[in-house]
Amino acid sequence: MFNIAAKRIIKEIKEVINGDQVEDAALKLELVNDNWMDLRGEFKGPPDTPYEGGAFKLEIKVPETYPFNPPKVRFMTNVWHPNVSSVTGAICLDILKDQWAAALTLRTVMLSIQSLLAAAEPNDPQDAVVATQYKENPELFAKTAKHWTNIYAGGPNHVWEFNRKVEVLIDMGIEEHKARVALSTNDWDIEKATEHLFS
Amino acid sequence: MSVDSDMEYSDNDGDEYGDYYGEQDDCEMETVDQSKTDPEYFLFSCLRVEEVEKLLNESIELLSNSLQITPSLAKVILHAYDWNAQEIIDKYKENPNEVLIHSRVKPRVPSLSANISCSTCAVCATANSTQKYSALTCGHYFCNECWAMHFEVQIMQGVSNTIQCMAQECEVIAPEDFVLSHVAKPTLRDRYQQFMFKDHLKSHPQLRFCPGPNCQWIFRAWVREGARRVECQGCELLTCFSCGAPHHAPTDCITIRLWLTKCADDSETANYISAHTKAREALKKYLHYYERWENHARSLKLEEQTLASLKSRINQKAQLEAEIENLSWKVERAETTDRGDLENQMDIAEKRRTILLKDFLDINTNCASSSKM
Repeated sequence: MFNIAAKRIIKEIKEVINGDQVEDAALKLELVNDNWMDLRGEFKGPPDTPYEGGAFKLEIKVPETYPFNPPKVRFMTNVWHPNVSSVTGAICLDILKDQWAAALTLRTVMLSIQSLLAAAEPNDPQDAVVATQYKENPELFAKTAKHWTNIYAGGPNHVWEFNRKVEVLIDMGIEEHKARVALSTNDWDIEKATEHLFS
Repeated sequence: MSVDSDMEYSDNDGDEYGDYYGEQDDCEMETVDQSKTDPEYFLFSCLRVEEVEKLLNESIELLSNSLQITPSLAKVILHAYDWNAQEIIDKYKENPNEVLIHSRVKPRVPSLSANISCSTCAVCATANSTQKYSALTCGHYFCNECWAMHFEVQIMQGVSNTIQCMAQECEVIAPEDFVLSHVAKPTLRDRYQQFMFKDHLKSHPQLRFCPGPNCQWIFRAWVREGARRVECQGCELLTCFSCGAPHHAPTDCITIRLWLTKCADDSETANYISAHTKAREALKKYLHYYERWENHARSLKLEEQTLASLKSRINQKAQLEAEIENLSWKVERAETTDRGDLENQMDIAEKRRTILLKDFLDINTNCASSSKM
């Protein structure tokens, strides 16, 4: 079993590097410390979404029973998305759970996660707060996601209004990321966010 | 709860009693006596594992004979249709394809990619010409080694009846004969068959394991709704056939489940707090006063400590002074023969006096300096 997993991973890395679609999807996959059980993936945010222009890093843990059991994948980059935990980066995706099939590869997993960013499923959320915002205030959601992409994934689109609001809370002595989370979860209402932080 | 709502509740209860006992008349009874004397009488039987195996095999045989399919496939289909063999036979006569697709014996979309000639296994990523390949009805070929591995992992995770093909988005289920032809380890084969039996039992509406610890008896009954008392022949446990919880008539299964979860998670306390306290304001107020009270309590404790240490110092000084007095009195009235000894003691007394003096002086100067400050 051990052998199959190692062999598969090495082949899959080659597949990602040599793959024809590398240019379009812009996938990266590499080992951490030359250990096939621990990988880092990276992909570009899909175009025409708030995630456009961002580079999103994934932590990929491969079990010994791979490919008969799915890899454990989570975002290392903070992401504002209904199906991704804004705290832990955990991803809610069927093929990483019960819909996993041994014939799937890390490349197909990364492509699925990339398309998940483009097509959220708010009715099966990982982060309830984000999902509520997505459903009730889609414009604010898109702006928040763009802001997070700009700050954490190196996206080119600044949202100056939100940057200023975060600055206000930083001046009150609040740590930057905490301030951003509090504002994002409170629909960028400074008063509500401070109340949330100090209560 | 107000008196009114209480009344309403008991009224409803009364109705349910009526329904509950009324229903009994519909059931066929074996012994007239029991059904008349015991309002909770319910027709059921207690079976051993072998008897249940025989029962299941009868259904399997019936289906495999009438549809001309292997017993393994019959098992998959029966599992999908809650063991209703007659329903399957009727539906199969109408549209065999639908039955096979519904029970996931056949793929929804017939796969065109008949890659029988394929020499690389997509799972282990090796091209091995000596390796043999096999596939389910969907035509997704993988090497036998990978199938074996796949089944091993699934069986170890407790999956038996619903092990699927390894291809992406393919839901076709591997029937028993296919699984067993790839799994060689005897322990694994046993485990698979055990899980399969338990799974069949769970999907069979007429059967239920006795929930007693390590109890191997199985109940069989024909009605699965409302509170139904069954008593195990082995462990004598009284349970409800419909839900498996401890016997709970006349309350119905849903109510008892809600009640048990309510008791378990202590949700009433939380309800009470949220209903009877303006939680946050009250909490803030409470914390404010608690802090004040706690500070007072702490300072009282510290005061006690200082008092005790002061008292012990005062006592020490009083003792020393008394000793010195005593000595000088002795010196005054002493005989000449004791002189050496006494002088010695006087010396000690003198030294103690200096120590005392120094102590007092120190304190005096300290006081003086602190008062200046």
